[in-house]
Amino acid sequence: MIEISSTPIVIIAILGAVGIILPVINVIRKETGSNSFYAVIAFAALIISIAYVGYQFINENILPSALFSEDVIVDDAFGGFFAIAMLIVAIFTTVGSFNYMRKQNYPAIYYSLILLSTIGMVLVAYSTDLIMLFVAWELMSIPTYALVGFIKKNPQSNEAALKYFLFGALSSAIIVYGISITYGITGSTNIGEVIQGYSTLDPGLLPLALLSVGMFIAGFGFKMGLVPFHQWLPDTYEGSPPTITTLLAAGTKKAGFAATIRIVVLGMVVLNLDWTLALGILAIMTMTIGNVAAIMQKSLSRMLAYSSIAHAGYILIGLAVSPYSSLGLQGSLYQILNHAVMKGMAFIAVTGIITTLAVTNLDKLKGLGRRMPITALGLTISLLALAGVPPLAGFWSKIMLFGGALDAGSALWWAPWLAIAGVLNSALSLAYYGWIIRRMYFEGETEKRVSEPKSIIAVMIFSIIFLVGFGVYPDPIIKFVEFATPVISSGFMP
Amino acid sequence: MRKMTNELTEFVLVSVALLGIGIYGLAVKRNFIRMLFAIEIVINAANLNMVAFGRFLPHSGGQTLALFSIAIAAAEVAVGLSLIIVAYRMYHNIDIADFRSLKG
Repeated sequence: MIEISSTPIVIIAILGAVGIILPVINVIRKETGSNSFYAVIAFAALIISIAYVGYQFINENILPSALFSEDVIVDDAFGGFFAIAMLIVAIFTTVGSFNYMRKQNYPAIYYSLILLSTIGMVLVAYSTDLIMLFVAWELMSIPTYALVGFIKKNPQSNEAALKYFLFGALSSAIIVYGISITYGITGSTNIGEVIQGYSTLDPGLLPLALLSVGMFIAGFGFKMGLVPFHQWLPDTYEGSPPTITTLLAAGTKKAGFAATIRIVVLGMVVLNLDWTLALGILAIMTMTIGNVAAIMQKSLSRMLAYSSIAHAGYILIGLAVSPYSSLGLQGSLYQILNHAVMKGMAFIAVTGIITTLAVTNLDKLKGLGRRMPITALGLTISLLALAGVPPLAGFWSKIMLFGGALDAGSALWWAPWLAIAGVLNSALSLAYYGWIIRRMYFEGETEKRVSEPKSIIAVMIFSIIFLVGFGVYPDPIIKFVEFATPVISSGFMP
Repeated sequence: MRKMTNELTEFVLVSVALLGIGIYGLAVKRNFIRMLFAIEIVINAANLNMVAFGRFLPHSGGQTLALFSIAIAAAEVAVGLSLIIVAYRMYHNIDIADFRSLKG
């Protein structure tokens, strides 16, 4: 039995209660304004949740690694790690929305949907049962469909929402079909039993097992933005409200990786198939196509969307080499946490630029370093960290990923090529990031400084401290990542 | 025993046929409501699979999962149709070819 004081239950209780109460308060007070009132309540709920996760870790109530359980959820370090990443993203989104939502209607519903979607993301990482995973996945997805189309009068927001909805609904349909096949061939929906069932599978059923795993990769891949399934992503990221783009790029994408590690990576190790090559090819395709397309973009949010596709490729390197190198999977988790902060910060900077200057075109960013110095500094730091420049946190996670790929080279002849592709892609990405930084600081005439929203400045300062602080002194995070990473070896069994 | 396996095969064949119809509809149709139908057909193919497997397995996890899936699909369709209504108010049309304002 799962205890009432365990982390996921407390997070559901806090965020769910607040998420349901917010619209009720709105109805009782009979007003649509007062955005700050609802924002503060939502912010407080998220801070209490993340404090509880931290408290549980400090009191050592959380078991290490990723576990299997008879129940539908388990309170392990893997889930706790993702909970911290998702809650940081949700806090960024809430704080960043503070200024953006002043000009929009229905703030109570907006914050309530963000909280409900956050519960879904957190539960995906905690779930140990396919039914629970599917329900959490939909709890995460359905509020975001509404949030992307939240600005009803804006045709772009609606178009983005329709595209996102179509691909999202298709991805969940494919996941259900994958679950139904898995249930049929293993006779259970518990992930531990499913993986045990895979290991004792009748050889005649192996093609069906492969089909189900392929369907899981396709279904989760839609949310992660892997390359054959990425077409919706740039349109949606560009058209949706920029704060919601933060939630999508930094939050729901990571939930896709959490689900993939829980099912696909652990399941495939047992199936004993040579699937690493398939994931490796996907990784190289994803990062190369993402980076090449990013170079050609004219809009900042669209360029960041393609760069986010490329980063899904980097994270996939660690998943591809996971049976041969534990360093790779640790690098993936570290990169997931870093990418949540870096991408969240970059899109919140975009929110700040849109709310104050109402531009996203790259040519209009000239002289941003003088007009909005703190936002520009934050954007610069996040871009450099995304490229993996040494004193920042993004450097260490990339080192671990590429080191993991080299480490696996003794068993897989092609694994070092993943590291080479990753390094080349990082260099390529530095080119277009550097181009933006040049635009912001070295072009344009002497523009006057405009006042920056305080909430955006708060996010920028927090992220700069996070990225620089853990870049200079990465030991605590690396220890945390080692504690949370599932242990996978060739003789692995649940 | 032999009869049971044959019945299961029939269910699975129908389910695979439904999956094919759904994917075909998504690939060919250009109307949002038709594409929504196609996705629903895929979800129902999975539900049929789960109920059929649940019938032949010792416990009832499949039926539970099918019930969850039906309820969630209903919620999803509610959000999707409301998005389509908003789109219709703006464009007076729900053809996917008319949604071309976001390009890169």
